[in-house]
Amino acid sequence: MAATFFGEVVRTPCRAGTEDEEEQEEGRRETPEDKEVRRQLARKREVRLFRRQTKTTLEVSLLEKHPCSKFIIAIGNNAVAFLSSFVMNSGAWEEVGCAKLWNEWCRTTDTAHLSPAEAFCVFYHLKSNPSVFGSCPRKNMQVTILTCRHVTDYKTSESTSSLHTPFLKALKTQNFKEPPFCSLLEQPNIVHDLPAAVLSYCQVWRIPAVLYLCYTDVMKLDLITVEAFKPVLSSRSLKCLVKNIPQSTEILKKLMTANEIQSNIYT
Amino acid sequence: MASRYDRAITVFSPDGHLFQVEYAQEAVKKGSTAVGIRGTNIVVLGVEKKSVAKLQDERTVRKICALDDHVCMAFAGLTADARVVINRARVECQSHKLTVEDPVTVEYITRFIATLKQKYTQSNGRRPFGISALIVGFDDDGIPRLYQTDPSGTYHAWKANAIGRSAKTVREFLEKNYTEDAIANDSEAIKLAIRALLEVVQSGGKNIELAIIRRNQPLKMFSAKEIELQVNEIEKEKEEAEKKKSKKTT
Repeated sequence: MAATFFGEVVRTPCRAGTEDEEEQEEGRRETPEDKEVRRQLARKREVRLFRRQTKTTLEVSLLEKHPCSKFIIAIGNNAVAFLSSFVMNSGAWEEVGCAKLWNEWCRTTDTAHLSPAEAFCVFYHLKSNPSVFGSCPRKNMQVTILTCRHVTDYKTSESTSSLHTPFLKALKTQNFKEPPFCSLLEQPNIVHDLPAAVLSYCQVWRIPAVLYLCYTDVMKLDLITVEAFKPVLSSRSLKCLVKNIPQSTEILKKLMTANEIQSNIYT
Repeated sequence: MASRYDRAITVFSPDGHLFQVEYAQEAVKKGSTAVGIRGTNIVVLGVEKKSVAKLQDERTVRKICALDDHVCMAFAGLTADARVVINRARVECQSHKLTVEDPVTVEYITRFIATLKQKYTQSNGRRPFGISALIVGFDDDGIPRLYQTDPSGTYHAWKANAIGRSAKTVREFLEKNYTEDAIANDSEAIKLAIRALLEVVQSGGKNIELAIIRRNQPLKMFSAKEIELQVNEIEKEKEEAEKKKSKKTT
């Protein structure tokens, strides 16, 4: 127990355990109301797969039907812009399905109408070569992950003002034999969230996978950050998918102007 | 560790950082690029113009502001902070003129702005100004000046410098290309500023704003047409240089 400045007495946590453990046990037992709230939350948090055009639900087994040799995932607006302009612009890509999910950190309470800006993932496959996609781990599959992070998260003994942003760092699984197109991510830097989950999954299932992480000082859509991913275009996974680089650069510029957010806070 | 020493401005971290000042420098990087060049007889300020919303009056979105007839500045960072600093500087310029009967020197007004910024790094309950400024002008002695201030309240004189987003890239370009020949005459200095901005500006000449001050002349803002002319000339020169290079190799 502890007394605060305002004269209240509060219960303080104690590692040694207290005599009031039984009392605490009672408090911890769930009421039916708690169970119901938990069940409803679990239902809201389910990952849903569906087709955007028809709005029909997609069975996971349908996705698993598509065999896959190359899986490329882009996380974050700069990585997505790179993939849309340089890779998806060369060749006809067909949308196979999309996944959306909601959790308590989403800013909206409406779980049915999430916008693409929130917790959305769209799956595409190349019409001319449908082996470039899939969700089921398979032999000879190679995974490429592209993502961005703010340069202030990069831990280094050098001064951050001497860093030449944006720059690429790579992290790969044991089975990935190709040399990466930039230096490997040094310790003590770590990868977070979805890219880390995908890379860990690939390491566990022995799938060759490489993550290209771009450290940038501009987290919103930015031409220079997107162009920092260009070295990745020479990789085995992407080389055959990219055709017209100058045209892709033009498309990227159009994407920039279309998505420019008007903000008057910074000039 | 950073989170325990970055809440209150007046607290040093164990390794001597003032995190709020460093975070203010990050805010500066969110502003668009500004470049300043000190020529022999001219000072040039070039900025990357932010795209203006359709219904917004373009004249009210300005990165280059006159502080007095012979001094002007460009800033990068928080718009509102810049407005406050610029207003105080303008008042100081007039107050100085009325008191001492002489216009301010560029160094004086830069020192005033830097002192103002430093005060906000040492008071509790206030945050630093989130702007860096490039201040240019001519003194009575006819010498051109270029100064740069940052959120910590430091100021230095420069021959050429850049602030804002991608400032490092522009500064490296200037380090390679700022030569005595490049600033030999006014038009070369203007072209150098535009070339430096074109390294990082995303949509070319139409997003550039330029201002110059010549000795004993007031501030001149370039119109969009004039800038386009300069950009076209630069592109021609680039093409010719490339043709020469390819001839040499063959």
